[in-house]
Amino acid sequence: MAISLNSPCSLYSPTKTHLGFFNNQRQLAVFYNKRSSSSSSSSSSKQRGCLVITCSAGDSQTIVIGLAADSGCGKSTFMRRLTSVFGGAAEPPKGGNPDSNTLISETTTVICLDDYHSLDRTGRKEKGVTALDPRANNFDLMYEQVKAMKDGVSVEKPIYNHVTGLLDPPELIKPPKILVIEGLHPMYDARVRELLDFSIYLDISNEVKFAWKIQRDMTERGHSLESIKASIEARKPDFDAYIDPQKQYADAVIEVLPTQLIPDDNEGKVLRVRLIMKEGVKYFSPVYLFDEGSTIEWIPCGRKLTCSYPGIKFSYGPDAYFGHEVSILEMDGKFDRLDELIYVESHLSNLSTKFYGEVTQQMLKHADFPGSNNGTGLFQTIVGLKIRDLYEQIITSKAAAPVEAKA
Amino acid sequence: MATIAGVNLSTPSVFAKITDPKSKVQPSRSLWLNNPSRKRPAQFRTGRMHMQPLRAAPDRISEKVEQSIKSAEEACEGDPASGECAAAWDEVEELSAAASHARERKKDSDPLEAYCKDNPETDECRTYED
Repeated sequence: MAISLNSPCSLYSPTKTHLGFFNNQRQLAVFYNKRSSSSSSSSSSKQRGCLVITCSAGDSQTIVIGLAADSGCGKSTFMRRLTSVFGGAAEPPKGGNPDSNTLISETTTVICLDDYHSLDRTGRKEKGVTALDPRANNFDLMYEQVKAMKDGVSVEKPIYNHVTGLLDPPELIKPPKILVIEGLHPMYDARVRELLDFSIYLDISNEVKFAWKIQRDMTERGHSLESIKASIEARKPDFDAYIDPQKQYADAVIEVLPTQLIPDDNEGKVLRVRLIMKEGVKYFSPVYLFDEGSTIEWIPCGRKLTCSYPGIKFSYGPDAYFGHEVSILEMDGKFDRLDELIYVESHLSNLSTKFYGEVTQQMLKHADFPGSNNGTGLFQTIVGLKIRDLYEQIITSKAAAPVEAKA
Repeated sequence: MATIAGVNLSTPSVFAKITDPKSKVQPSRSLWLNNPSRKRPAQFRTGRMHMQPLRAAPDRISEKVEQSIKSAEEACEGDPASGECAAAWDEVEELSAAASHARERKKDSDPLEAYCKDNPETDECRTYED
């Protein structure tokens, strides 16, 4: 079995690697680069059984997508919609740690950045820092491993166990076609930010965050309105200092706000959702309503389409966001019927769908996901389609470029 | 023999490490020892239909959520603006999110679905379209 050192393959022997990890939290990065390949291959004839060979996705580099949001703000739902657009369900790694945070589908691997916590739960408690605090996170390792994967090299990524609050032994992550890094800090560190081909920030207003967490936690023993409120408030200073500022770097922001269709509504059942899309991002051209660049307000409900109370209202137009030129598409209200969704889809342009009705089809397929009847589901689906388009454009441009000789 | 050579030796090594009296034993960090429901490693399971080990016992997380709220309330009694108070409520958030994920997974875990995911070609997993 001959493996050229220039091939995008790496060799390693698991027996050597899984052990040192138990006692030493800091010894996290284990890279299998060309040097370690050659050293381990000398012993490979004796212990072929435990030799693992990993190869990168051929010549195509891994595309890296960053998704930032606070805990409990819909990252998992977004990930399920995104991986569905690419076809095939994302599953936890087979036969690995049952508490792994990773999801793998044919094209996409989603890793949770909590795995790069440098302080475990006890450590944070002792030092009095939250997980939102950069001091609780190892950005050097995050950068090294995301960079390695982007270069087609497998990594041994730590696993943060959300049940025990401890760092578990690492898991091997092979470079996928699309790597999504989701968590609190994908755009915090400038080096990691540089590696992102596209970035998304889910910006949930305080009112909606409160409503969502009530829905999530009220049935949980020990929780009350007071405890939910206290938790949001206690985390807010760190959230404002370290998480929120990342939205200025995002290529797309999904803002979730209370509706304006019902006066003084704070139930959180009807939402106003804004998709803020940066202009001038390579391989990403914003979705528009009717006429690109114009300012438009649209109430689709009327003579042709009847909607139930409180109706649906769209707006679209150019704007500025943290000094960047952006386009904003907004939807207030909720869909009650299928024909409303189809009607809306047929009036949007530049959706990057592959066939008429693909947005509607995706929304129907996951009708049981939260937000499937409002702008959160609609815009998450649209962003998923835009990411698929971005991926395909990057692949095409690589294929068109002359083949470079390998060093 | 190819099939034997393919066996990953890392699992036995983990056991060897843990049972080694000289090593510093940290059972709570091991894959298998911290949860009786997943004590048996995969290769010892027999039978055609086997359920995936439960990823987390939701009841256990619920208890942890409840405890964490109590200790957060205590941690904030002295100084509500302290780092300890924020860290304690952050733990509540983390556990509440984990509990919610565990509930979701429990809801989704149908034994037949799980079996068919791994064995789509078997008779009991055939689907018919008309």
